[in-house]
Amino acid sequence: MVRRKTFHWAWLFFCAIALLNPLQAELEVIAPPGMVRVPGGVYRPLFRSNSDAREIPVAAFALDIHPVTNAGFLDFVRANPRWRRSQVKRLFADENYLKHWAADLEPGEAASMNAPVTWVSWFAAKAFAAWAGKRLPTTVEWELAAAASPSQPEGENDPEFKKLLAVWHSSPSPERLPPIGTGRANYFGIHDLHGLIWEWVADFNTAMVTGDARGDSGLERQLFCGSGSLGAKDVGNYAAFMRFGFRSSLKADYSVHNLGFRCAKNL
Amino acid sequence: MNHSSPWVGLDTQAPASPDTGVGGFPCVVDVERTSRAVLTRARNAVAILVAIGFLAGSCSTPPRESASAGKPSCCLTNLAPSAPFTDKSLYQLDSIWTNDVGQSITLGAMRGRLQVVAMFFTRCTVACPIIVHDLKRIEAALPKDLQSKVGFGLVTLDTEHDTPEALHRYREAAQLAAAQWTLLCGTPDDTLELGALLGVKFKREVSGQFAHSNLITLLDENGEIVYQIAGLNQDIQELVTLIRRGVR
Repeated sequence: MVRRKTFHWAWLFFCAIALLNPLQAELEVIAPPGMVRVPGGVYRPLFRSNSDAREIPVAAFALDIHPVTNAGFLDFVRANPRWRRSQVKRLFADENYLKHWAADLEPGEAASMNAPVTWVSWFAAKAFAAWAGKRLPTTVEWELAAAASPSQPEGENDPEFKKLLAVWHSSPSPERLPPIGTGRANYFGIHDLHGLIWEWVADFNTAMVTGDARGDSGLERQLFCGSGSLGAKDVGNYAAFMRFGFRSSLKADYSVHNLGFRCAKNL
Repeated sequence: MNHSSPWVGLDTQAPASPDTGVGGFPCVVDVERTSRAVLTRARNAVAILVAIGFLAGSCSTPPRESASAGKPSCCLTNLAPSAPFTDKSLYQLDSIWTNDVGQSITLGAMRGRLQVVAMFFTRCTVACPIIVHDLKRIEAALPKDLQSKVGFGLVTLDTEHDTPEALHRYREAAQLAAAQWTLLCGTPDDTLELGALLGVKFKREVSGQFAHSNLITLLDENGEIVYQIAGLNQDIQELVTLIRRGVR
C-alpha cells in the first residue's frame, strides 16, 4: 500500500517538473544583474582557411555590460589571496601583473576604482570569472557582441561606427585609463567593447598564426601583410584585423597595460 | 583550488580493466564519482599510511605507487609529495585528467621524471603521426639506462572523440610502452588551458580535424618547461643532449 502511494507521488512530481520546465526556460533568458542578453546569431569568421566554416552559429548568452573594474578586481584578490600581486605564481601571471597598483590591496593613484582593470593575465581573468560564477566569453561571442554599433546589431553596415573604430585603433591608450561606461552603449546595451581597452577571450589561443600544421603561413600573411587583407571577408574591418593580430600575439601569462576583460555566462 | 597545494593524485576506485566506468562517454571527468572515489580511497589510504608510518616513516612514500602497479606508470616519483611546486611548474594546475585506462590524475602525478610532452589527437592523419614518430625518435636516441628515467606524454586536443578507450587503442596501435608513455584526455576548458601554457594553439575545423601547433616540450622533474621543438621532423639532438645532462 505504502509502496503504491510512493509510486503515485513520484509520478505527480515528474509531471509537475515536466509542466514547469518550459516556464523555467522562459525565465532563464533574462540576464543576471550587470549583464545583458546577447541574442544568438551567426558569426562569420574574418579569416578562413578552406577547411573553416563560413558561418559559425552562436547561441544566446549573457555578457557583462562593462569590463571588470579595479574595484571589482580588488574584491576578487581580497577573497583570493593567491591572486594578489605578491603571491601570484609566475606560471599564471608574468612579472607585470597588476604592476600599476600601489599595493596588493590598493589600486592607488594610477588605477582608479572605476577604471577597467588591466595588467591581468588570462589565468587571472579566468579565475575571476570562475569566482564570480561566470566565464570568459569565447572569441565568437565577443566578436558577435562587438559587431553591434550603437544603432544596429551588424555594425558593418554603419560607416560612422567603422570610422570611430579606426580612430581608436590608431590612437595610443592613455597612461591612466578613464572610467568605464563613458562611451555610448551599443545596440545590445553593452559599453566599452571598443575604445577603452582590449579584452581577453576564453579561447584567445585559437587565433592561429605561427607554427601550425597545415600551411597556416598563408593565414599569417593574411594577418600581418597589408595586401593579404584583400583576401579576407571584409577589407574595411580594420579593427577586427587588429584584434586578431593582437590575440594571436598573446600568451596566457601576459599582463599588458591596455588589456582587461569582462565576463560572460550561459543563459 | 589551491595552486600551491602539494601533489594530489586521484585514482578511480576501479583497480582494473581499461573500460571500467568510462565506457563510451566523452572524456569529461565525473566529479561526483571522483569525489566518492577520493573518500573511499581516503579511508583506505589513512589505514595504509598509518601502517607505513609505523614501519618506515611516511615522508618519502608516494601515496599512489601501489595503486599504479601494472598501470602506465607516469607517477613513480622520488620527491616527497608534500614539497610545493616551483613557481613556473605546470604541475600547479588543479585540472584532473583521465589516462587511457580510465584513471584520474593531476599533472603533478608526472613529477619526478623528465617528461617529453606533445598535444595531439588520435584521428589526426597529417601532423600527429609525425609528432608521435618524433617522440619515438627521441626515445630511441636515449641510452638504455636513461629510457626508464624519461616519460613521454600525449594529451589529446579532441576531447569529444578521444575517450580513454580511443587513447588506449591508439597506444596499442602505435605500440607505446606502458612504463614510459602517458596518454591523457581532459575537459575542453582544461585542454585549452594546457594548450595556453605549452603555447599550443589549436582550432577545431569543420571536418572534425584540428589545426594545431606542432610543439614538443621538455619538462624538467618539477614540471617547468625547459625546451621546445617547433615543427615536424626537426633535429632532436639538442633535446636529447638536455635529457642526457639530466636538465637541472
